[in-house]
Amino acid sequence: MPIVSRPDFLPGLPKWSRKTLFALALFGICFAFAFPVLWLILTSLRPESGVYYVHRGTEFTLASFAEVLTDDRIVSAFLNSALISTLATIFSLLVTVSSGYMLSRFTGPASRIWFGTIYVFRCIPYISWVLPLYFVTQSWGLYDTYTGLLLPHVAVHICFFSWLMKGFFDGIDPSMEYAAMIDGCTRWGAFIRVAIPSALPAISALAVLCWLFTWNEFLFALILTGNRVPMITVVMAQFVTEMGLRWNLMAATAVMALVPAFLVALFGQKYVIRGLRI
Amino acid sequence: MAAISLSKLNKHYGSLFHAVKDVDLEIADKEFVALVGPSGCGKSTTLRMIAGLEDISSGDIRIGNRVVNDLPPRDRDIAMVFQNYALYQHMSVYDNLAFGLRNKKTSEAEIKAAIDRAAGMLGLHELLARKPKQLSGGQQQRVALGRCIVRNPEVFLFDEPLSNLDAKLRAQMRIEIKRLHAAIPTTSVFVTHDQVEAMTLGDRVVIMRDGRVQQVGTPLQVYGKPANKFVAGFIGAPAMNFVNVTVRSDGGATTVEADGLKLTVGGADARALAAYNGKPAIMGARPEHLALGEGAPGASFDAHVEVVEQLGSEILLETRVGSHGITVARVPAETVIASGDRVRVSGQPGRLHFFDPETELPITAA
Repeated sequence: MPIVSRPDFLPGLPKWSRKTLFALALFGICFAFAFPVLWLILTSLRPESGVYYVHRGTEFTLASFAEVLTDDRIVSAFLNSALISTLATIFSLLVTVSSGYMLSRFTGPASRIWFGTIYVFRCIPYISWVLPLYFVTQSWGLYDTYTGLLLPHVAVHICFFSWLMKGFFDGIDPSMEYAAMIDGCTRWGAFIRVAIPSALPAISALAVLCWLFTWNEFLFALILTGNRVPMITVVMAQFVTEMGLRWNLMAATAVMALVPAFLVALFGQKYVIRGLRI
Repeated sequence: MAAISLSKLNKHYGSLFHAVKDVDLEIADKEFVALVGPSGCGKSTTLRMIAGLEDISSGDIRIGNRVVNDLPPRDRDIAMVFQNYALYQHMSVYDNLAFGLRNKKTSEAEIKAAIDRAAGMLGLHELLARKPKQLSGGQQQRVALGRCIVRNPEVFLFDEPLSNLDAKLRAQMRIEIKRLHAAIPTTSVFVTHDQVEAMTLGDRVVIMRDGRVQQVGTPLQVYGKPANKFVAGFIGAPAMNFVNVTVRSDGGATTVEADGLKLTVGGADARALAAYNGKPAIMGARPEHLALGEGAPGASFDAHVEVVEQLGSEILLETRVGSHGITVARVPAETVIASGDRVRVSGQPGRLHFFDPETELPITAA
């Protein structure tokens, strides 16, 4: 039922004014969220001299994009971020789906210990993982490598998303898997051939969340990588130099970083909504 | 060819909960056995142990000549119907039916023939291309039955398959299952909490309570000769009336007395009750064995009508006799009667049951 036609939404007003008010409120909320993005896009299209006067002036240029796209460091940061996000998503899903399934279906000591472990790690504030991880990656020789960034991401995903996955599997009737076991599957067979296909909307939702989480992540990328594996979120912040702030380049990089995230969110949102509703 | 044999079967959950206690049961080949009891009585656990979905704490399960204790479900040659159908949601009805056979590496031609046969029996032909989500509850349950039939297993297991259906559909599916068993005689175990389902479907009925088997018998046996007070109260609808009585046996006549009630008993009942002279006993009278009117001498008593339930075909009366509530069934529907009336109720001689108040076992002549 549309909210506008609900009688308890401002009951004293006539219908047309209720609709107008509702539209205005909707517009206001959308504007509040969209404004920074619009401002960012506007900034990225202004010449360097115009970035402090984005709201006036009619001069627009794509020069900032051209400059950013010819910068090897930024291009490689893009590729790195895409690669790390994709790999982190694949590896996390491999573990998270089976770990969530175990938490949901098995009640033995192994399951309880695993449950306790990820619970404890989940309670630790995200930011306090960074420094120990820095020392560990340093001493293992993983600092500033793909592996050194990938592993912590996967670990965080496992702790955060196993719970979500457990919730999804809790919502799926286990007798389907029992039926499969009677129909000739092993326990693993029932998991792979029956449980996973039924959880596919949820798994797609999780994939979208994992990917966006890693793509947008800043802290690990900042601390655990240096010059060899630049990530887009870190590179973007490096336009703050002693020579001044290069707003137009930063905005152009940010707009480009928005595009893949925007596409993933756009195509993934129907899975996210369906998945989260299971 | 597969008889099922359970011997000294036990199931413990941790140290606290003993769900199934020393269950012994022999199910003959092609027999249809209904396991019935209130929720938590261990009937579903027993079934799941037969299926191999639940480990056995101790005891043995045999299917055919094999001890299957440690066999995984897929190697037991069984098929199971679940309460919530358990159809594979991501597959079409055809693929649901084919799933088990494909796992056995059956050729697609044979699979198609088996599915054709099952679909014909259950009227599934138009549904084969649909997904389970597009089917009604009754259709889904028919697909679940079909999935069992195509595999042609040695044993069918049913775990409350009709509980999620509405009353009318439930009655239809009951008949369908019965017809199916006649067409494809296969050893079947049917778990239900509904005694009507158990009585109508089972060649034999197994009544369980608190993990123990209370009685095993044909529907007529468990109805006519209940093994204890629990079975007497559980089987039959409306439920049997129980009255705490005192037995008086003097001279030739044996009577049982309670507040507002004095009945003369004769024949075998009198001989059985002889040992209880002056002692308490529990009298059980089925509502359908009571009638309005004077009846045989010494077999009637006065009752105060509290509730009149008109069913169209008959009237159910809730009456009060002294401090006891007594239900009377099978009162002709045309009878003019209202709550507050006083009526004369008589019992059919020889159809009363008597139980020992301590052991709750029936009192019978030695």
